[in-house]
Amino acid sequence: MSEQKKTDFHVVNHSVPRRDGRAKVTGKALYVGDVKLTGMAYARVLRSPYGHAKIVSIDASRAAARPGVIAFLTGDNLGGLNPYYGHAVKDHPLVAIEKVRYAGEPVAAVVAEDERAAFEALEFIDVRYEELKPVLTPKEALEKGAPLLHERKFEAGALRGFEGDVTAGRGTNICQEAHLRWGDVEAAFAKAAAVVEAEYYFPMAYAYAMEPYVAIAEVNENGVTIYSSAQHPFMVRHDLTTVFNLPVSQIRLIVPFVGGGYGSKSYTKIEPLVAACAWKAKRPVKLQLSVEEAMLTTRSDDALTWMRTAVDSNGKIIARQAKIYMNTGAYAENSPLVCEKATNRCVGPYAIANVQIDTYSIYTNTVPASSYRGFGCAQVTMAGESQIDELAAKIGKDPYEFRLMNVAHPSEEFFPKMRAFDGNLKQDLEIVAQAIHWKEPRSKGRGRSIGCSVSDAGAYPLTSTVVRVHADGSVSIMTGSTELGQGSHTIIPQIAAEELGVPFENVRVVASDTAITPYDRSTGASRTTTLMGRAVLEASREAIEQMARMAADVLKRAADEIEVIKGGVQCGEARLTWSEVISRYYGLPDGEVIGRAYIRKSGDFAKLPVFWETACTGVEVSVDEETGRIRMEKLATAGDVGLAINPALAEGQDIGAATMGMGIGLFEELVYEGSQLVNGSLLDYRVPRFSDLPRDVKLQLVENRDGVGPYGAKGGGEAALNSMPANIANAVYDAAGVRIRQAPLTPEKVWRALKEKKAEGRKQ
Amino acid sequence: MMPLRRFQMHQPKSVKEAAEMLAHYGEKGRLYAGGTELLLAMKHDLLRYEHLVDVKTVPGLDKIEAQNSSLRIGSVATHRSIEKSPLVKERLPVMAEMTRYIANVRVRATGTLGGNIGFAEPHSDPATLLLALGAKATLQGQTGERSLAMNEIIVGAYETALAPDEILTAIEIPLPARSQRAIYLKFQIHERPVLGLALIVDVDASGNTITKAKAVVGAVSPAPCRSDKADALLVGPKDKVEKQLTDAARALADAADPVDDLEGSAEYKRHLIGVYLRRAFTQALASPLRNP
Repeated sequence: MSEQKKTDFHVVNHSVPRRDGRAKVTGKALYVGDVKLTGMAYARVLRSPYGHAKIVSIDASRAAARPGVIAFLTGDNLGGLNPYYGHAVKDHPLVAIEKVRYAGEPVAAVVAEDERAAFEALEFIDVRYEELKPVLTPKEALEKGAPLLHERKFEAGALRGFEGDVTAGRGTNICQEAHLRWGDVEAAFAKAAAVVEAEYYFPMAYAYAMEPYVAIAEVNENGVTIYSSAQHPFMVRHDLTTVFNLPVSQIRLIVPFVGGGYGSKSYTKIEPLVAACAWKAKRPVKLQLSVEEAMLTTRSDDALTWMRTAVDSNGKIIARQAKIYMNTGAYAENSPLVCEKATNRCVGPYAIANVQIDTYSIYTNTVPASSYRGFGCAQVTMAGESQIDELAAKIGKDPYEFRLMNVAHPSEEFFPKMRAFDGNLKQDLEIVAQAIHWKEPRSKGRGRSIGCSVSDAGAYPLTSTVVRVHADGSVSIMTGSTELGQGSHTIIPQIAAEELGVPFENVRVVASDTAITPYDRSTGASRTTTLMGRAVLEASREAIEQMARMAADVLKRAADEIEVIKGGVQCGEARLTWSEVISRYYGLPDGEVIGRAYIRKSGDFAKLPVFWETACTGVEVSVDEETGRIRMEKLATAGDVGLAINPALAEGQDIGAATMGMGIGLFEELVYEGSQLVNGSLLDYRVPRFSDLPRDVKLQLVENRDGVGPYGAKGGGEAALNSMPANIANAVYDAAGVRIRQAPLTPEKVWRALKEKKAEGRKQ
Repeated sequence: MMPLRRFQMHQPKSVKEAAEMLAHYGEKGRLYAGGTELLLAMKHDLLRYEHLVDVKTVPGLDKIEAQNSSLRIGSVATHRSIEKSPLVKERLPVMAEMTRYIANVRVRATGTLGGNIGFAEPHSDPATLLLALGAKATLQGQTGERSLAMNEIIVGAYETALAPDEILTAIEIPLPARSQRAIYLKFQIHERPVLGLALIVDVDASGNTITKAKAVVGAVSPAPCRSDKADALLVGPKDKVEKQLTDAARALADAADPVDDLEGSAEYKRHLIGVYLRRAFTQALASPLRNP
């Protein structure tokens, strides 16, 4: 389309200040935590102390008799509900039924007049457990005779999003598996000039968001209404229709601002439990988890990846093979999709003729894993981008040059049956190399690394929206996209303002209320700018078409005589603003025009992925060889975003993602001792701080307008995370000569590697 | 963190009244002097008290004053007030500097020195430095007052020698002599330090001989720890002491007997003691003499 090449933007491609910025920093922005309904009661949750146990009996009568207690919920009193949910695999009971599968699993809930009364009643619930042997690692879970977490067979959820058959509940602890192959891997390795083979580990991590999970539910004759911190309200709605056996029109999800997600807020979390509490209590019920409880609700899949990669004598990568074991915890959640995505993303941004990837997602008696920013890409890029550096070292090539030589080219069909590559990695790499002064000599104790990744992003293209132009020329956009800090409520009106030629200030957003806003599959996989953005653009154009016809009507001219100009139409000498068109059409200074758009897997979106999400990151680190402590000295990112609707927000996504990836590289890891999570609080679980960032940060955007989103835009927000853990490992190798393949690279781990190296040096 | 269970807060007007309250409530009561540790433990449901005796409102307990050869810091002086105190900065800069890096500014604005010592959290920064400085804690109970050295008051992790009715009213810190240099260093990854190391050395007029030394390591084991053997190895001509640093660190590590925990293995902590003792020593000898 020719408009794709438009360049004289008046709102788009400008860093207009984010719409919600002032409200958020002044504490005025509304989050679920701020919402209070008339007659609202409060729930608290009793959690399992055991990793794996049979629930012999639960007696909540003493708790029920406590002052202020209204109702309680256990696995025994759910009659009338379908308690199992899951968009991928319906394996998750809203509260433990008959057995518990991880320490921290909800076993019962108490609803009371206030939060404290509910909490104080919990210890009066008498639960008798019979302990079962827990399995804590994929290795243990796959052993012959290992106890099974799930004995039942499961159906795939209706919105599972992955292609393969469901493996869960088929007599093993395998939750899901995915396999990818093309070419002839064995033959390629046999004739390779050089091969690198090793095992890599990406840790269990918690995608810390400032706002822990919170929901308020009300169940009455009109159905179920839930205020939630959920990222994908429409998908949660779907789960709720099955729990309550109600039509879609009777489940309403309302999502005000979400206080950060990073993967942790995607899909259904506490909503079925809260709704069941409200159903029992016959009152609106609020459940606000603490951060510690949120850490017992979801986490990232940790992944052990065995990988080998081969090059020919020209330094061209000819084969990659990997076997990935992901620890998905007690319930599937979104891990089957993460499993499939990790498999695809393990190939990396390289055109490789021979590929074989086998991934297994394994149930264990630990906190259920689900989405984590990057959907499996971060896990496998730790292996992939480490291995690229190892291979470069082995054949004596500069790792940056080695990447330049092997990355997929623009428009190259590097991944069979998928969309041709729509980014420019060579350009991304060059920009980052320049930013961290790759070619310049390194000071002692310092090392550099450049890494990149590619993700089949955008999830499934199913999105709709409505753009309402009012008689005064102001505009309301109805969008199902949630604002979780990424800035969607700023870029959506930017696009409509651009198309309609009206001031940005006059365009407002009505968001994420499933009873009001049209369907949007999800706000994740970096899809909003591309898909919702495109929908807003098309709905705006549809409104313009309608208003042009209305103008022809009121001016009594033929439709083809009407010319659309900025903010209105022109016909000969006559010029009408949108406000004049609408007012004259209706004969009153009121009324509106409704533009609509539906995006589906067709046309520009027929081929998946919606776009390839690509970014390149570069770091310089220094290593204190005495303590093993790593310090970040430089960080550079290049976000290959097609066109930045709002450059400042796009850069904000990149620094955020890179910081999150740095956390994994340096110190983030959930630690289990037996079946207990032992660092499940922010005192012991270390999230990145501003002071961990280097002073020298360069954020850059590559805007080749090569995406299918509005004006050639495509998504960002995840990609700058993926290569960071490997970058840190590679930079430490560059600085200190030790290769560490397990993230995080804690000071002690680095110190041990250095000690080992010294000991080997002495031996030689 | 859970909602706090119900408790009553009592605000005595005097130390005597506070002591009576503590005696009255016994195990159901606890001294409250900022709550940055206590309330956290209560919110995690690790500790339960029905009564908290808030000594932050007792008049005069937050005073910081200079005496002849010591600094007396009232037990409910906040870390922030110590960090910002011109008197502390001038007379005992190492104390102000250490305090500046305790936790974060919100904790420093609320937490108090007495609360920190009284809670005996094993990763306390002040406890380590105060032991090295030879500070004494003044305790007042229903029957009278007594004074304990830091290693007498802190007897283990979360354990003190405070009697049930006793209140820590002040910390008295001898001011270092002109010939002394005091250093506090720490290594920290998480919210609390992996290791804190304090070193006080007396240097002769030539600046080349250490006549007296005291090294204390904290956070690696249940309570801050020192070793006569280590301190002895730190005395002598600078060149000789430099060669003995490894042995001194080993002696200090043996005395501290580090534990394996989330902050690191015992082996790593033993290694860090060596690294930080050397760093502290180098800094101590490089630092200029205090103004008289």
